[in-house]
Amino acid sequence: MNGIETKFYNAFIAKDRWILYFKGLGVTLEIAVIAGIIGIIIGCIVALMKLSEPKKGRKHTIWWYIATVYVDIIRGTPSVLQLLIMWFIVFSSSNNGVLVASLSFGINSGAYVSEIIRAGILAVDKGQMEAGRSLGLTKGQTMREIVLPQAFKNVLPPIGNEFITLIKETAIVGYVSLSDLTRTASQISSRTYEAFMPLIGAAVIYFVIIKILTLLLEALERRMRRSDLR
Amino acid sequence: MISVKDLRKTFNGQEVLKGITTEIDKGEKVAIIGPSGSGKSTFLRCLNLLEEPTSGEIWFEDKLITDPSVDINKIREHMGMVFQSFNLFANKTVMENITLAPVKLGVMGKDEAKEKALELLRRVNLEEKADVYPASLSGGQKQRIAIVRSLAMSPKVMLFDEPTSALDPEMVGEVLDVIKGLAESGMTMVIVTHEMGFAREVATRVLFIDEGIIMEENTPDKLFNAPQSKRLQDFLSKVL
Repeated sequence: MNGIETKFYNAFIAKDRWILYFKGLGVTLEIAVIAGIIGIIIGCIVALMKLSEPKKGRKHTIWWYIATVYVDIIRGTPSVLQLLIMWFIVFSSSNNGVLVASLSFGINSGAYVSEIIRAGILAVDKGQMEAGRSLGLTKGQTMREIVLPQAFKNVLPPIGNEFITLIKETAIVGYVSLSDLTRTASQISSRTYEAFMPLIGAAVIYFVIIKILTLLLEALERRMRRSDLR
Repeated sequence: MISVKDLRKTFNGQEVLKGITTEIDKGEKVAIIGPSGSGKSTFLRCLNLLEEPTSGEIWFEDKLITDPSVDINKIREHMGMVFQSFNLFANKTVMENITLAPVKLGVMGKDEAKEKALELLRRVNLEEKADVYPASLSGGQKQRIAIVRSLAMSPKVMLFDEPTSALDPEMVGEVLDVIKGLAESGMTMVIVTHEMGFAREVATRVLFIDEGIIMEENTPDKLFNAPQSKRLQDFLSKVL
């Protein structure tokens, strides 16, 4: 056996190590998916808080202030630090690591998603809301039937981007000793004294997953654009 | 039918409407003309409270609609509005555009609304467009459908906010024809327009709004042939 084959064997085949990569990938995806869902829920709520209409004579609603403070804090601090705070301070007694990490990433992602959704809603032509209101529809009805579906189409590409970023960002859970894909690869490399194969292997896995996701998003986007076509 | 008393509107400290008082009776076709920035569109948009007046009263059929306790959505069901930029719902087909409000607001059942929509579309010769999205229509087609969408609610009055200003010249005629037909059917209408010929032909009364007030009002014949104020004379000499 020559060198490369041995390295490949040690990195993936020996002691059924390939299973570890897939377990790591499982942890990565689990955190990303749960965090993504939490992020979208928080993002929607925060976006609506930011867009809530103040009473006459006031500049902003109380909701706007709460939402703004949240977004400022999240965007103003490193996500690794947020994770460490959640892990060692807020949920120090929890033993469900994946859930704590998901929550931390979800709260982080929510701030970015809320700005994406807010921009998506504002990008819908004002005339659409006016037309709905002029027919006697309420603001809520017009939002649900007309504005939000169009906003959804606007936000799909940036939300897809955000989710892709999220998948990669979960690699920092190694800081709190969760065995995601990145940490698994680095642990295997320290076991085999050989970095190339495990690290490149992990990179390829990330790349393939994200490429598949990108293709799915593009297909979905094409379907959503149907009503723009002649 | 609509009664406006000392209507004022201020945007960011700038007074756009400086006290407008007028009555619009059932069956009247009121054309509003005036230079850009004179406040004529703002006035029209105040009538269904798309713009909230700063002060003054607007009455619609014995209801004070500027009173915050009035359900403005109920009032708007009876006041159709057609916009300069059409504002067809981009995510809905033509049919859905027309039937959305009547069905959502419980005015009609789904089947009844569809039937009525088809009948209205036939009237503007666009029934073959029922299942397409607005993006595939020309400006003239969009505006005719926007008119149909308002009519589907069987409004008592129609407000037109420069309905032909965003159209290519060759499409203005088809839209004006639809509005003319509507006028002949007896609909009460308020039309902000730059089409002087059209105002003259269709309107029963013309308001000349300038600098936030009604400078002059009269029958089209008298207003166009014998303008009283200097400002109206200047305006007409520029646009005619």
